[in-house]
Formats: sequence, structure tokens, C-alpha cells
Amino acid sequence: MSAADQAAERSKRHRADVAPGEAYPEEDIAKGIRGYLIGLGLAVLLTACSFAVVRMNFIWAPAIPVAVIVFAIAQMGVHLVFFLHITTGPDNTNNVLALAFGVLFVVLLIGGSVWIMANMNHNMMHSPAPAPSHAHH
Amino acid sequence: MSATASPGLAPGHDPYHLGGSRDGRGDSAATGRGAGGPAPKRIVVAYGFWIFILSDIVMFAAFFAAYGVLVGGTADGPKPQELFDLTHVALETGLLLLSSFTCGVATLALTARRMALFQAMMAVTFVLGAGFLALELKEFADLIARGAEPSRSAFLSSFFTLVGCHGLHVGIGLLWLLTMMAQVLTKGFRDDILRRTACFALFWHALDIVWVGVFSVVYLLGVIA
Amino acid sequence: MLGKLTLDAIPLSQPIPLIAAAVVGLVLLGVIAWTVIAGHFPYLWREWITSVDHKRIGVMYCILALVMLIRGFSDAILMRSHMLFAYKAPGYLPPEHYDQIFSAHGVVMIFFGAMPFMIGLMNFAVPLQLGVRDVAFPTLNSVSFWLTASGALLVNVSLVVGEFARTGWWPAPPLSEATYSPGVGVDYYIWAIQISGIGTLLSGVNLVTTILKVRAPGMSYLRMPMFCWTALASNLLIVAAFPILTATLAMLALDRYLGFHFFTDSQGGNSMMFMNLFWAWGHPEVYILALPAYGVFSEVISTFSGKPLFAYRSMVMATMAIFILSFMVWLHHFFTMGPGGDVNGVFAITSMIIAVPTGVKIFDWLFTMYGGRIRFHTSMLWSLGFMLTFVVGGATGVLLAIPPADFVLHNSMFLVAHFHNVMVSAVLFGAFAGYAYWFPKAFGFRLDEWWGKVAFWFGISGFVVVFGAFYILGLLGMTRRMQHYDVADWRPWILIAGFGVVLMLVGVVAQVVQLVVSIRRRESLRDETGDPWDGRALEWATASPPPVFNFAAMPQVHGEEAYWTIKAAAREQLSLRNEPDYAPIEMPINNPTGVVCAFFATLIGFAMIWHIWWLAVLGFLGAFATFVVFAWRDKAEYEIPASEVQRINRANRTTRLEALQGVGRRRAA
Repeated sequence: MSAADQAAERSKRHRADVAPGEAYPEEDIAKGIRGYLIGLGLAVLLTACSFAVVRMNFIWAPAIPVAVIVFAIAQMGVHLVFFLHITTGPDNTNNVLALAFGVLFVVLLIGGSVWIMANMNHNMMHSPAPAPSHAHH
Repeated sequence: MSATASPGLAPGHDPYHLGGSRDGRGDSAATGRGAGGPAPKRIVVAYGFWIFILSDIVMFAAFFAAYGVLVGGTADGPKPQELFDLTHVALETGLLLLSSFTCGVATLALTARRMALFQAMMAVTFVLGAGFLALELKEFADLIARGAEPSRSAFLSSFFTLVGCHGLHVGIGLLWLLTMMAQVLTKGFRDDILRRTACFALFWHALDIVWVGVFSVVYLLGVIA
Repeated sequence: MLGKLTLDAIPLSQPIPLIAAAVVGLVLLGVIAWTVIAGHFPYLWREWITSVDHKRIGVMYCILALVMLIRGFSDAILMRSHMLFAYKAPGYLPPEHYDQIFSAHGVVMIFFGAMPFMIGLMNFAVPLQLGVRDVAFPTLNSVSFWLTASGALLVNVSLVVGEFARTGWWPAPPLSEATYSPGVGVDYYIWAIQISGIGTLLSGVNLVTTILKVRAPGMSYLRMPMFCWTALASNLLIVAAFPILTATLAMLALDRYLGFHFFTDSQGGNSMMFMNLFWAWGHPEVYILALPAYGVFSEVISTFSGKPLFAYRSMVMATMAIFILSFMVWLHHFFTMGPGGDVNGVFAITSMIIAVPTGVKIFDWLFTMYGGRIRFHTSMLWSLGFMLTFVVGGATGVLLAIPPADFVLHNSMFLVAHFHNVMVSAVLFGAFAGYAYWFPKAFGFRLDEWWGKVAFWFGISGFVVVFGAFYILGLLGMTRRMQHYDVADWRPWILIAGFGVVLMLVGVVAQVVQLVVSIRRRESLRDETGDPWDGRALEWATASPPPVFNFAAMPQVHGEEAYWTIKAAAREQLSLRNEPDYAPIEMPINNPTGVVCAFFATLIGFAMIWHIWWLAVLGFLGAFATFVVFAWRDKAEYEIPASEVQRINRANRTTRLEALQGVGRRRAA
């Protein structure tokens, strides 16, 4: 594709609007299946990695949870790109912005809840109970 | 429209001092997200459903948060490490991933107006999804038989609710899938039915994303902990 | 067969709610009988109950809200009058009944008074302001409304069949668990809120999609009226927050129905987790209600000051900043539950930061008025009243955001005064301002100004007296939800609060009288042109009431303040824009999906409350069948012929042209 074609394509996408889940541009079925196959391949690979690091003890134990989380986030990204066709193109602005807000609220809710409740449990349950004071009676 | 019959005035009215966007300059001319007027129905419907899916994911986030907080609340009952069978989970994951692929092919078949391929792929998706659901129910039944029922401890309550909520979504998805197969069969490739099927595909793929969270956080991290 | 439901469910031992409910029921039956006998039912069914028109659904939301506000206010009267007799005495309401009343008061006011009012105003005004024909999903809109109505119905059924929750407006465990609340009260709460919550969520999805995807050509984001921006932020919050409430109440329901241990404080459960999740919804909810009201004030103040909104961009930024920040402050509702100083500190700081964008808004409104030619219409009075009283509520809020102060003041009458101060002055005043502002647009005639002003002055003075007294009672150490008291110092302030309620009652009565008087004198209050207030946004560019298709041709927006631009050109040239080329318009067909769906939802809710499992299954099947029937229909839209569009539009053009010629004559003279 020549530079002029690419510029034309870019400006077309800047004026266009795309539905979430809609593949862009309109493709023939074989090309579409290829996209889904790549997605499936990557997803299976990442899943296999996740299970492998847990099942086989070939990485440093404290790093395993981190590895699992990283693989999970990567796999979610693969699903978003290859199955839900969310891209960073200008035609996807609204779709990506909505997703970004969703991710923000999910992080705030899960992170906030775990932080607050852990702190509260620590404060309320595991601190040594102060001896009952009788001095003021 | 002939609202341009107001030379001099319209472009001059800029009380918000937005300068660049005056008379549309600097704005995208796209429909929907820009200044090009309402988006086509195809986009409106899918976007609305996208927003709904995101809200559904926030609901899952609440269940994840509950699980994260209560996972330690085993009340001297069974702990995650003693309960989960990773082979079983790997099998479930495989079924769901494959079903996402076949669902994708089904939407391609729909765009290409290929009825037989669409119905076949939807049927395969249904079988894979039903297989997933059957495996999950079997897991639940086994756990309950071993005395690890949801009323045993807060950990088990939150486990059954989180995983069960995903399973419930898969179940509803299967019902929707059958409805869409019947609808395409009886009504053909009508625009509104294409839009609905696109929403179904979004729903099915999104359930996969939630499942990635479930198998990573609940099962894999549960087994190490 | 009927689960837990027996004849004992009817609370014959409690005559007050029973008589009240009987009266309401009789009135309702009377109204229904009258509509059927007088032959109005087919019209109501065709044009309102099955309507998918956003304007009619908006009006029905507001009517539901007005009725439920009166119900909630009756609860308030009961509580305040009970307290008059509760000094060193038991009062006239037994504790178990008093507990139900304060719980129902909060639930009804928040979920079925404030929420439907705000959603109704947004439903009505947003598509008009965006210059489009309807919301993105018209039938879904009808489903949302009827699900909300279904929830409201369940709450009111609890007056006669069974009981309502005695737990306060949030069903706090472990009190709300089956062990301590074995009755059906909490179940009524759970199912009423779940059903109406789904309606609210769907309405949020609908309006977000409408604002982001369905706008007139040329209506870029930064040309939208401020009300559309605040509606966008509010509905984004609905979409992000309501699922948390749904999940939390589902967990509570699982605890109660199946013996789960989320919040039981036994078997590893944690009741504080309920507080955490509930307020993760609850604080955004405050802004879900307040933001649209801010939008109403922006529209009203700009219109009645005859000036564009000051610092529009900062207003947009402030709105979106509130939208994000409102998700980061929820812990300040439970500072005292035991988080450490670090956690409390972080949330104290975010809580104080959120006051900043709100302050920006106050200054923007002030500067909008500065130098303007202000007309003191009722809606403007409510806006001014809001600005004065809300600043006090905001200041006490910042005070309560300081954890050490909160440790002294939490759960006191000071807190009760604070949240009424913000919720009433922002949400309720905003609702009344919007009601007076858009009423002529909805019905084609203005509301009577004299009675409106009576309602305003009595309403606001009663409000100041009641909650002023509450602040002082809080500082004197009175805690909330007390059924009786014996502290002599509190006595005078409780009497003053009782007097304040009488003032508010006069205001409420004046509001009702205003409506009746306005309907009777509608001919003299007629809005002929469709632009009674010299407005600035597109809803004033069409007739009052607008035709079903809103605009004969979709407006082309060429600048900020879309309608003002058009009007200024017309005034300069003393002529209207050229007539558009009339084309046939496709509009969605009315259908009963919403009301049928809500019927089954009510069945499901009632069945779940009383453990009538077969009926619940039946309800689910019915709801699914309703959707299938809807999905299988072949014709979704009907066509309005171009000649009809032309006839309707010409009628409005004629009156507008006459008004314009009036302007021309005055200018010549």
C-alpha cells in the first residue's frame, strides 16, 4: 500500500465510526476466519503458559502469581483485539473510551475493596486486644 | 435545511470560546461520535450492548471483590488448594475458547449470508457451551457431595456465587443462541436479526474474557495459595 | 401452594398503615374504575401505557415520582409528628412500625421519588436538546419505566401484605440477615430494588447510547447543552454503579434464601463487606441524582439570566471530574467502622477534592447571572434557593469528610441534616426547577406563577427550619432513628422541626394546588410559540407540546447554543428559516412489551418474597415469552406522511411568525 493510500485510509477511518465487535474493513470469510484462528492460537498459548507455570515448578515460586496475572491480562487483550475487534483506530474512539472507564471502575472496585477490607481486618481482628482498663471506675 | 440563511451570525456565535470547533472545524465529521449526525442503527445497537456488557463486567467485579475479600474465610472448612482440579478446569477452558472461535465463524457466515454454515457453527457453539456448563455442574455436584457446599463457609459462598454467576450467564447465552438460530431460520437475514446476532456474539466473547479472570484468579491462584 | 403467604400477612394489628393503604387503594381503584367507565382506558392504553415516545415516558416517570414523593413525605410527617409525642413517652407509633416508616421513607424518596424524577426529566429533555426524534432504544425505554413502576408497586404492597424492612434505608447485615429479620420486610426491599434497579440500569444504557451516538448533525460534544453533559455523566455512573448494587443485594438474598455466608459474621462471612460494596454504589448514587439537577440549574440560570452559560468548558470538566471522583470516595460513609488512619486519610482527601469541581460550578452559575437581566421565574427561584442552601450542605459535607470530626458526628442528627441538606436542595429543588421549566414544553401551557412562588417560599423556609433544627440536635448529641427520647435540651428543637414540617406541608399543598389551578386556567397560560422563556437550546425550537416526531426536519447545528443561533438570525432578519423539504418520517410503533414485562417482573418479585416458587418460574417463562414475541414482530415502525408533517410544522411556524412580527412592530415603534 502506498503512502497516499495509507493516508487516504487513515482519513477515511477518522471520519468513520465502527460498532464494537465489527471487523474493519469488511473482509471476506477466509480472511475473517484467519483472524479468529490467530486469536484462538494466541489464547490457547497464553492459557497453556498460565497452567504450565502453576503446574510445573520451573519459575521462582513468588513470581508465579504475577506471571498468572500477566498472562491473564495479555489473554484478555488478545480476546478484545481478535474476538471483539476493539482496536486503537480513530473509528473505535468511543468503544475504547467506554472500555477504559469500565476497566478503571473494575480496578477501583476490586482494588479498593480488597485494600479497605484487608486494612480493616488487620485493624480490627489481628491487633492484640487491649487489656480492659479498670482505672477509671 | 436552509439554516445557512443566516450569514454572518451563525459562525460568529461562540459564547463558549471554543474557537477551533466553530462551525464544525476541528470536529470529526463522523456520524455518532463526531458531528455527522446520528450513527447508523447497526452501530447504535452494538454500542448500546457494549455499554451493557461493560456494566455486566462491573457486576462480575463486585463478585470478584467479594471473592478476593472472603477467600480467606474458610471457617476451618476446605481450602481452595484441597478442592480444585486443574485438569477439569483446563478442559472447561478449552471448550469455552473453542466455542468463542466457532461463534466468531458463525458471525462471519452470517455476514456472508451463508445459512448452512451459520446454523452449523451456532450448533457447534451450543454443544461446546453446553459441554462447559455440564462440566461446571458436575464440579459443583462433586464439591457438594464432598461436603464443600456454599453454606459451609464464606469462601465457598463467594466461590459458588462468582463461578455460578458466570455459569448462569453461559446458560442464558445458550438460550439466546437457540433463539437466534430459530429466528435466523424462520425470518432470514433481516437487518434487526443481524444486529441481534452481533450482540449475541459480543456477549459470548465477553463471557470468555470473564472466564479468563475466573480461571486465573480463582483456580490457578487458588491452587498455589 | 402459596409459600409463606397466609391471611396473617395482612397486618390487622397495625391500623394506621392499613387504613392509609386502604384509602390509597380505594382512590386508585376509583381512578381506574372511572377511566374504564368513562371510556378513557383505550386511549390511556394506546397513547400512554404502551407508548414508546420518550416524552410520554418522561412524563410518566415524573408522575410516578410526584406520587411517590407524596408517599415519602407522608412517612416524614408520621415520623416528625410521632416525635412530638415521644418526649418521655412512647409516642403513638410502636417501635417495629416506626422502624418500617423510616426505612420506607428513605427507600421511597431515593429510589422512587428522586430517581424517577431525574430520569424522567432526562428522558423528556435530552433527545429534544440533541435535536433527535427519540432515544436510542424506545421500547427498552418503556421496559425501564415499567420495571421502576413495578418496584414502586411492590414497596407499596408491603403496606398491606406483610411488612417492610425495619433495617433503615440500607439493609445492614447482620440485622438484615434471616436470623435477625426473619420476616418478609427485607425481602420486599431486595426484590423491589432489584427489579427497579434493572430498569434504572437499562435506562442508563439507553441514555448513554443516545447521547454518544444519536445527535443531530453538527451537534458535536462541545455543542451539547450542559444538561446533556450532566445527563451523560449521571447515566455513565448508573451504568458503572448499579451493577454493584445488584450484585450486593444478590449476595444478601443468597444469604437469606440459601444460607450462604457473605455477610453473616459467622463461618468467615463479613458484614462490613456489605457496607463496603453498598457504598461503592451508594456514593456514585448521590451524584447520579445530583448531576442532572446541576444540569437543570445550568439551563435555568442561563435562560433566565438571558446569557450563555459562563465558562462552559470548565463546567464540562467539572462534571466529568465529579463523574470520576465520585467513584473514589465511598469509604467516607464508614470511617468509623475500623479502617486504619492511612485508608481513612486517603478517602478523606478524595472526599474533600470532590468539593472543588462542585465549587467551580457554583462560581460558574454566579458569573452566569452577573451582568445578566435576571427574571425571577419559579424555576429560577428554586435555582437560587439551591445555591444558597447547597453551599451550607456542601460545607457540612467537607466537615464530615474529616475523619476525627466524623467520629463525633457520625450517625447523629447532624449527619441526617447534612444529607437532607444536599439531597433536598440539589435533587428536589432541581426536580422542581426542571418541572416548572419544562412543564409548558410537555403540556403546552405554563404553570401558575403565584402558586409556584407560594410553594417555593413555604417549601424552602420549612426546609431550612427542619434541617437547621436537625443540625443543632446533632450537635446536642441526638442520634438518628430514635423512637423516643428524654433529654430536655432536645425538646424545643424537635418542636421547631415539627413546625418546619407544617411549613413544608403548606409548600407541598401549594404545589398540588398549582397543578390543579394551572390545568383549569390552561387557556390563559397557553404557550403558543413553543418558546415561552426565550430559551437557548433546541427543545424550544419545536412546538409545545412537541409533535411525536419532535422536529419536522432534523435540525442542522451550526454553533454553540443551537437554538439561540437560529433565533438570533430570525430576529435580525424578521423572518423564519425557509421551510424544510418535508419528507415522511418513520417512528417506532407503540407496543406493550414494557408493561407486560413489568407484570411478569412483579409476579416474580412477589413470588420470591413469599417463597411461591412455581409462580416465580411462571413469571420467568412469561418474561422470556414476552421478549420472544417482541423479537418476532415483523413491523417495528410506521410512517407519518410528509403532508401530515407539513401540516403540523406549518401550524407552529404560523404562531412563531406572528411572534416575530410582534418583535418587528415593537422595534419599529
